[in-house]
Amino acid sequence: MKNVVTIVFALLLAVAAIGEQTTPPLPGPPRPLNIPTPADKTLPNGLRVIVIPKSGVPLIAARLMIKTGGEADPADKAGLADMTASLLTKGTTTKSAEEIARGVEALGSAIESGAGWDYSYVAISSLANNFGTAMTYVADVVRNPTFKTDEVDRLREQNIDALSVNLKDPAQLARFVASRVVYGGGAYGHNLGGTPKSLENIKREDAAAFHAKWYRPENAIFVVAGTITPDDAMAIAEKSFGDWKGVGEMPANAAEAGGATQNQEKPRVVVIDMPDAGQAAVIVTRRGLARTDPAYIASQVANAVLGAGYSSRLNEEIRIKRGLSYGAGSSFEFRREAGPFFATAQTKNESAGEVAGIINEQLSGMTSTSVPESELTPRKAVLLGNFGRALETEAGLVSRVAALALYGLPLGDLSHYISDVQGVTAEQVKGFAGTHFPDENVVIVGDMKKFGDEFKKRFPNAEIIPLAQLDLDSPTLRKP
Amino acid sequence: MRQRLTYLLAFALTIPLAIPLYGASQLDVPSVAYRHRTLPNGMEVYSVRDTSIPRVAIQVWYRVGSKNDPPHRSGFAHLFEHIMFKSTKHMPSEFFDRLTEDVGGENNATTRDDSTNYYEVIPSNYLETLLWAEGERLASLTVNEANFKSERDVVKEEYRFRILAPPYGRLYYSLDKDSWQVHPYKRPGIGSIEDLDASTLSDVKKFHSTYYRPDNAVIVVAGDFDDAQLDGWVDKYLGTIPRPKTAIPRVTVKEPPHKELKRFTEYGPNVPLPAAAMTWIIPDARSADSAPLTVAAAVLGLGESSRAYQSLVYREKIANEVEIDADEREDAGLFIAFAIMSSNHKVSEGHKALRKEIDALAQKPVSEAELTKAKNQIIANILRERETNNGTAFEIGQSVVVEHDAAAVNKDIRKLQAVTPGDVKRVVETYLVKGKPTLIDYESQPGGGAK
Repeated sequence: MKNVVTIVFALLLAVAAIGEQTTPPLPGPPRPLNIPTPADKTLPNGLRVIVIPKSGVPLIAARLMIKTGGEADPADKAGLADMTASLLTKGTTTKSAEEIARGVEALGSAIESGAGWDYSYVAISSLANNFGTAMTYVADVVRNPTFKTDEVDRLREQNIDALSVNLKDPAQLARFVASRVVYGGGAYGHNLGGTPKSLENIKREDAAAFHAKWYRPENAIFVVAGTITPDDAMAIAEKSFGDWKGVGEMPANAAEAGGATQNQEKPRVVVIDMPDAGQAAVIVTRRGLARTDPAYIASQVANAVLGAGYSSRLNEEIRIKRGLSYGAGSSFEFRREAGPFFATAQTKNESAGEVAGIINEQLSGMTSTSVPESELTPRKAVLLGNFGRALETEAGLVSRVAALALYGLPLGDLSHYISDVQGVTAEQVKGFAGTHFPDENVVIVGDMKKFGDEFKKRFPNAEIIPLAQLDLDSPTLRKP
Repeated sequence: MRQRLTYLLAFALTIPLAIPLYGASQLDVPSVAYRHRTLPNGMEVYSVRDTSIPRVAIQVWYRVGSKNDPPHRSGFAHLFEHIMFKSTKHMPSEFFDRLTEDVGGENNATTRDDSTNYYEVIPSNYLETLLWAEGERLASLTVNEANFKSERDVVKEEYRFRILAPPYGRLYYSLDKDSWQVHPYKRPGIGSIEDLDASTLSDVKKFHSTYYRPDNAVIVVAGDFDDAQLDGWVDKYLGTIPRPKTAIPRVTVKEPPHKELKRFTEYGPNVPLPAAAMTWIIPDARSADSAPLTVAAAVLGLGESSRAYQSLVYREKIANEVEIDADEREDAGLFIAFAIMSSNHKVSEGHKALRKEIDALAQKPVSEAELTKAKNQIIANILRERETNNGTAFEIGQSVVVEHDAAAVNKDIRKLQAVTPGDVKRVVETYLVKGKPTLIDYESQPGGGAK
């Protein structure tokens, strides 16, 4: 961190007059950040339990995570993992959906369940003094859900309605389209929450079977963080899940068996024409990398320069210099197989093409020129700041540690994350960009009639799909 | 933590089957221990020391918000907030980002109806640096035409981002516009494209000199610091800023009681499911009725166990989403209930069902168990807010500016805990049953009826 200080202030002193109050006072010596050491144990039934004690406000966050998620959805039943997880809290062998909601909320707790890529989860946020009681609900919904037909029907209808709203929101729709563009017919290509068509195909038997197959202690991780000792947390884990057993043999994991991603032949430019869209959503996207890829840290640093935080290149060029958007940024999503990279901005329809062009220029700039140290050092500080802030809250600790555990990475990675980031060189960033930033796809959702002639000149080969012709269930994105 | 046991009562609901007793003891949270000083120039200083992590949060609150937007300049207080990140006498534009983001910190600001708050969360060895920087932008904001215009374009994109692009953006935009009859709360804080376009650099200068002055500011520092050092730095960088002699203009308009029900229909272009909204004027945040109204909103709409969720979303399946909120402000508040309808259900069904739940709460007192549940949900949320230094600092700033009393940060929890079933029944009857609501139908229409 010392480097940061020197560079920032050296720059400033060069332009500012000398005087007591005309330059910012220099910072004092920094105090080091305390990185917690998680307690880590596997119960005899195969459930891995990780505890991160933290002092402060008497709150505890916990997450029971199943190492299988949306990547295991059958092709015609997109959204099954998420439906299954969401239905857990909608009734067990002893409690109705209403009793679960009421019991949990009376404790001041909040329970949440759902599926991501590579995982499904039940999360609880609880006060320290009633964490044990809150956990009885978590254990019950994980182990004894009933998937009643009326609950399945209700949730399906709600999800279809919610999807109808998302499909009219340019930013949401652009995400759905981008996944199809990058992954085609591969498992990561569908929407995690499904489509109106795929949700119709999901019956109670599907959810019950998904649960029976994947919800089992040897396919699960339980992570707890907050004002609790490892011994107390381990005892609660033992009480909640110690006698939990899966049904039959543990199947091979869907994603480990391959097929989540599909190789793309050539980059596409796809425009979804949404009449009267209030803004255009622009996404520049391609396949990124897996969480376990050795280039993970380099990718984080490269992305921090390009699109993480307020002063990244994308926000600097699009928002700060040109006033073209409320915010622009980029991110890698890390999964078991190569997750996607997204660079995004929303802008008035008239400037959609210009913004897509700026994003492409910034990407190619990263591949051709080394990032100067004066830029690289503060961008690394952004990553380290995010890391420090995540460790401040129990929910942040849980998600950081759970991600390591999910992908079988050593929990000790936490203790050298700071030095790993600091060790990335400008050459490594350029090398990474050269491999990972070319050949991007462009997805734009907006009111096409306002895009203007300039757009057609810039993207002469754009595939234009009217909203009414869009089919998210098909890799071509077009209705037959 | 202090604990008080409450009755374990059976929960009476429309389902007459045997529902197991449920009960939870009423939650309590530790008080926030803060220190207070008033500087000779009128600036209020609050601090909460917690050295467990080497970080510190600074919040600077100004008693100026969207209600103070100049005439024909709706959205100006918010646009001005953006300008506060531009250059000062001794700092180039965006220098706050150099002092925060570039060293592992963060900063942002929010304009509300009654106030504008700016914050930084930084490694604690940067506290002095940021106190200097806050003093800089309070004392000597400088901004040029190019910076002003480009930031105004950003705010116009923010308007499109929040109002025009999301399917229900125009509904949120309409709530204040339709609900208030005379109070300036009726002007949406995000403004309009026309009013933003009409604003000039001279508006910026005037707004800064009118409202951005030490006697209109409150600073809250929470986290890792030394008391004596903090006092010294605050005196040096903020205490030396002169207090202008002129008076600070205040909004004195009072919203009269609404004499009749008003009805509006608003449109958006891409609205797959219509929505029903109802609002009522409620007292200001300092009112004794504020806590019971907060509890009433929670009983009705907080979480999946709430009455409106259970009725409209779960049992009747007429709505896909409900939201109920007692939005308490400095001059008067707005009680808001809205439902995004399920497909094939009409807005009129939403209004009727929301009304039915409200009437039921006025007819029969809520049970102790249901009351305790609602209080625990609210109190646990406050505790979650206080998990970070910045959250604690926010709560103190909000208490000082909106409730005119920092001690409200602790008193409000006592007030919530003291709310009785009779209190809830009375406020629902007084403000929501006898009060005249504004009803908004939100429907789909090509073009959306807005620019």
